[in-house]
Amino acid sequence: MPASSARPSLRAVHLTRTFGDGAQRRVALNNVSLDLYPGQIALLMGPSGSGKSTLLAVLSGLLNPDSGQVLARNGGEDYVDVWSLTDKQREEYRRGHTGFIFQGYNLFPALTAMQQLEIVLKWGQDLGGAAARRKATEMLDRLGLGDQTYKKPAKLSGGEKQRVAIGRALVKDPTLLFADEPTSALDWENGQQVIQLLRDAAHERGATIFVVSHDHRMLPYVDVSYHLEDGKLEVTDHNGHAAGGAR
Amino acid sequence: MAYALQTLWHEKTRYAAGIGAVAFSAVLIALQVGLLLGLFEITSIPVDHTSADIWVGSKAVLSVDLGRAVPMSHLARLDKPGVKMPEFLYLWFGNWTKPQGGTDLCMVVGSSLEPDAAGAADVLTPELRAALSEPMTVVVDRSDLGKLGISEIDDRAKINGHEVRLVGIVDGLRSLAAPWVFCSLTTARTVLSGVIPNEHVSYLLVRCESDQRAREVVEDLRRDYPDMSARTADEFSLQSRWYWLTRTKAGVALGYAALLGLLVGALITAQTLFSATMASAKEFATLLALGIPRRKIYGMVMAQSFWVGVLGVLIALPVVWGLAKGAEAGGVKVDLRWQVLTGAAVLTQLTALAAGVFALRSVRQIEPMSLLR
Repeated sequence: MPASSARPSLRAVHLTRTFGDGAQRRVALNNVSLDLYPGQIALLMGPSGSGKSTLLAVLSGLLNPDSGQVLARNGGEDYVDVWSLTDKQREEYRRGHTGFIFQGYNLFPALTAMQQLEIVLKWGQDLGGAAARRKATEMLDRLGLGDQTYKKPAKLSGGEKQRVAIGRALVKDPTLLFADEPTSALDWENGQQVIQLLRDAAHERGATIFVVSHDHRMLPYVDVSYHLEDGKLEVTDHNGHAAGGAR
Repeated sequence: MAYALQTLWHEKTRYAAGIGAVAFSAVLIALQVGLLLGLFEITSIPVDHTSADIWVGSKAVLSVDLGRAVPMSHLARLDKPGVKMPEFLYLWFGNWTKPQGGTDLCMVVGSSLEPDAAGAADVLTPELRAALSEPMTVVVDRSDLGKLGISEIDDRAKINGHEVRLVGIVDGLRSLAAPWVFCSLTTARTVLSGVIPNEHVSYLLVRCESDQRAREVVEDLRRDYPDMSARTADEFSLQSRWYWLTRTKAGVALGYAALLGLLVGALITAQTLFSATMASAKEFATLLALGIPRRKIYGMVMAQSFWVGVLGVLIALPVVWGLAKGAEAGGVKVDLRWQVLTGAAVLTQLTALAAGVFALRSVRQIEPMSLLR
């Protein structure tokens, strides 16, 4: 749970986003605001096509909103509006502060588990070979994948692949971690493992975790949950029922 | 670079088309240039297989086989310091009549047969020279026996109506249109008596004390005697080959074919790299989401194109060697000197890299947002 004195690590302020025009116009985000805190795991649920992934994309700097701000803590005490940055600056921001996990594992078929993590360290942080290998190995050990270090995705189970993907997202120590349907492709036993790992990343490393999912079984594991429908965001309780406004 | 190579190996079948295309291009270029050079060597054989440093011939001679008659008296013009005893050379087309009937063109090469003669072909051993000293005797290359309708020593035929007898067979002096027929000055003068004016020859040859001196003498002769041509052996060899390359359009045709081969190779390689990159679009998109700079992914694609080039060239080498051996067994020389192989390798490697640049378009299309739709 976030420390009571903690300031939000990410603030969404009056976000709107529409797609299409005329008769095809669809409002994905309608004046959405929310705060995310360090050490907190937040879950966003809602009907299919409700704009959950849109909100995740806007918050993480991948899709621009039509209006509104996404304020992120840029290391120090100040906030920076992610969408006032240039593309290059936004890319740097993502490199330094964010991690992503997707429903599809998106692992390179030719690379071993270790290399999937190494590549992020070498290409993203310009780490040398030995340092990258060490960090990658440590992360994989922590995720219970010590025996799978040299295996390629074809030799890994679905749960193991998703854990490698989590390792790839966490290996550069992001302050913000965005997960889009991280357990949809897994059975619940593996899905539980994944959500537990995300929870640990929040509570033990102080990262801010934002998960989009339609899986209600996650509710007991998260610190705060939201519901998005028709572009409007509401906070929900541990049963997924509305509990008032978003802040 | 290592990731690129690892990916290539892991997905061999996917990259096979590109690697095969590069190998095909490399083989095509090396073979065609090798054939070209092999052909060209044929055209400058009289220059390359003799030891003369300077060739003096008719004005504006274009190729060693196209010289016109020059007066023997020009010999006096070659009396200069640093210039050794000049010689005559007959190099003229003749009409060869086969023993069983039928005629063909031949190139009569009549030279001095002294042990240190500048105009005697290096393949003429002392024994062959001794045999040729008998008038109306000739030596030909083994590859031309069939064309000339003769098969063994002492066989007889006619040149321009004059009977000649075969006294020797050499190897390695292939011909293009007209088989080389080596003989003495005396024999040449006789068989060519109807076609070359009296007191005329095809060339005057000299050796010089040094290459530098040869160049100086050539400069002087050109300046002083514009009614004849003077060339160093190197110049004349290259000029003869170049003439065949450009004027006959043979080289241009081969060049176009090689270019086409490169183009096809490049297109297939580009397409292979393009679709390989798109096949990993989700993985690359994830890296982009994580803030990895797009230029790193460009680098990966270029590294893949580099390895495709290298592997293609490595496969091409034994293939070229095998095909060249096959061609030579059929009597066609393929010159695969290191310059040819290196040039073909470099050209195809550059083409593979160019294909990589073309395939970068695919990386530009990858967006992380696509993972969230």
